[in-house]
Amino acid sequence: MASVKLTDVKKVYDNNVTAVHDFNLDIKDKEFVVFVGPSGCGKSTTMRMIAGLEDISGGTVEIDGVVVNDLQPKDRDIAMVFQNYALYPHMTVYDNIAFSLRLKKMPEDEIYEKVTNAAEVLGITEYLTRKPRALSGGQRQRVAIGRAMVRESKVFLMDEPLSNLDAKLRNQMRAEIILLRQKLNTTFIYVTHDQTEAMTLGDRIVIMHDGYIEQVGTPMEVFEMPRNVFVAEFIGAPKMNLMETELEYSGGKYYVKPFGAKIEVTGSKAEELQRKGVGSRKVLLGVRPEHITLTDASAADAIPCKLEVNEMMGSELHLHVYTADGTRLIVRVPTINLSSEQRKAMVYGAQLYITFEGKVMHFFDTETQKNLIYGE
Amino acid sequence: MSENNITAGKRHMGLKASRVLANSTIYLVLSVISVIWLIPFVCILLQSFRVESTYQVGYVVPQQWGLDNYTKLFQTDFPRWYVNTFVIALITAILQTVIVLCMSYTLSRFRFKMRKPLMSFMLILGMFPGMLSMIILYRVLKDLGLTQANAVPGLILVYVASSGMGYYVSKGFFDTIPKSLDEAARVDGATRFQVLKKIILPLSKPIVIYTVLTAFMGPWGDYVFARYISFGTSAGMNVAVGLYNWLNKDQIATRYTMFCAGGVLVAIPVAVLFMCLQRYYVEGVTGGAVKG
Repeated sequence: MASVKLTDVKKVYDNNVTAVHDFNLDIKDKEFVVFVGPSGCGKSTTMRMIAGLEDISGGTVEIDGVVVNDLQPKDRDIAMVFQNYALYPHMTVYDNIAFSLRLKKMPEDEIYEKVTNAAEVLGITEYLTRKPRALSGGQRQRVAIGRAMVRESKVFLMDEPLSNLDAKLRNQMRAEIILLRQKLNTTFIYVTHDQTEAMTLGDRIVIMHDGYIEQVGTPMEVFEMPRNVFVAEFIGAPKMNLMETELEYSGGKYYVKPFGAKIEVTGSKAEELQRKGVGSRKVLLGVRPEHITLTDASAADAIPCKLEVNEMMGSELHLHVYTADGTRLIVRVPTINLSSEQRKAMVYGAQLYITFEGKVMHFFDTETQKNLIYGE
Repeated sequence: MSENNITAGKRHMGLKASRVLANSTIYLVLSVISVIWLIPFVCILLQSFRVESTYQVGYVVPQQWGLDNYTKLFQTDFPRWYVNTFVIALITAILQTVIVLCMSYTLSRFRFKMRKPLMSFMLILGMFPGMLSMIILYRVLKDLGLTQANAVPGLILVYVASSGMGYYVSKGFFDTIPKSLDEAARVDGATRFQVLKKIILPLSKPIVIYTVLTAFMGPWGDYVFARYISFGTSAGMNVAVGLYNWLNKDQIATRYTMFCAGGVLVAIPVAVLFMCLQRYYVEGVTGGAVKG
């Protein structure tokens, strides 16, 4: 249990490629922080610098107030779970879990107790005598978690631990990690490229892109108040629709004019725009697929479009549509809101009319891509 | 449908027959080669048991069998040479294995500035025949007093000195072991040496055995350096040098069959080693290329 503090941490490789730029983050004791971003954004590198597996080119990493830049991984009191499990193939599950304890020269009876306890928590007791190659992916991942668990270290690092599992098992293990977190009650740092994992697991999410932190916040904050276009598109599935359009300020009200329609901005967004003193201008309008609704041709703010792809997800439809000028949008429609005739009519080329909900729009600068409200 | 089955069956038979033919040809050729290969060994073995004459004769199977050659062998300097050779080979095998494995692990896992230049330097250095260094080595060893009667430590030094250059095969094998195993072990609290000892080496058994075997074999059969450094002093000779002296014009008439007996005794430990470990040896030679 410990806090982790990164100050201006930098990683520059020998070929002068900078993987991480001035990374600043304060992770509180017992916090669950998720680093998320596309591949190559520096999230794994940052974690490996915390673990001591990668040299730190600049700045400091502190664990529990102690600068650990020059400490070997073994002296940092951390535990880590790897994407490919990294189980020792020549050892049984028991020996794998006991490895770190034996290095600590812990008495065998104590080791036995700890290993069997961990195995019980993870439900792998019956596999203790097996070698890793005789286990399935999910079981291997449990062993890897068990190996990290028994160390009872200050910080628990997980580097894409679920990426090698199939979708169903991934969901199951995700839930188990949440439970595990409650049991261990220690500081977690978790790396993933999957925004769903980030949203469901993290107390706070660190969204990274090209070695920079784009935004740090709770899942709700990054979802509702994305600082820029990158965060807006990265968080949420399917991703947010973006379109260049006019923002009009007249008579104390804001309107957007996408594809010839005129939709009023309502609720807190309008208030925030006013507070920030935003005038009429060109903006990049962001609307999440779930905030687009189907409407009638007769409605005042209806945008005509044609259906291209209809993805049936069970509880909802993901409709890929394109407007008259060829802009592609994704619309999420709960299946329950549609009559069976309507559902049948959702075929390629079908004419649809959509509109946006005025209170959940996002406005970005077309040049800087920053959110006009939360950009700073 | 039944017709289809019949043609498929015929094709199957054809495949099987051609496979049998191919295999028998291969085995026939291999058997002929191995017989040719074995002839000299069989000859030496038979000569070593010949009692009626100590010189070369025009036939292979002895007329009188006996162990005379072996008993006489032990009244010469042969045991001394044998011990010399064994000590040299054993110590060299141990030291060279340690050096090669540490070197390979370092080059496989550590990233340091001179790593690539060092590797290419060693590659180029390895292209020069070792014999080129003979004169200077002799000079240095003589100054250190490690020639002639003291040739044993001198030879060990020579064999072990350049052993780091033989890292290729084991480095290739280590490269196939995922680095995340090292990282997991280091996070688990292991030092780099513990990683090598507890993770890498147990996973590289064939390579370790291959390294020990080749390190043992080199000095065991060496002639050129051993002859040069012992320089005519019997106490510093190894078996190859000692035995070869018996083939001189003035000795060959009385010692030829003893030479054969000595040859058999030299071959025994190596043959036994190979028979026990040949599975690993083959795996080791091919292991660098295939994921372990």
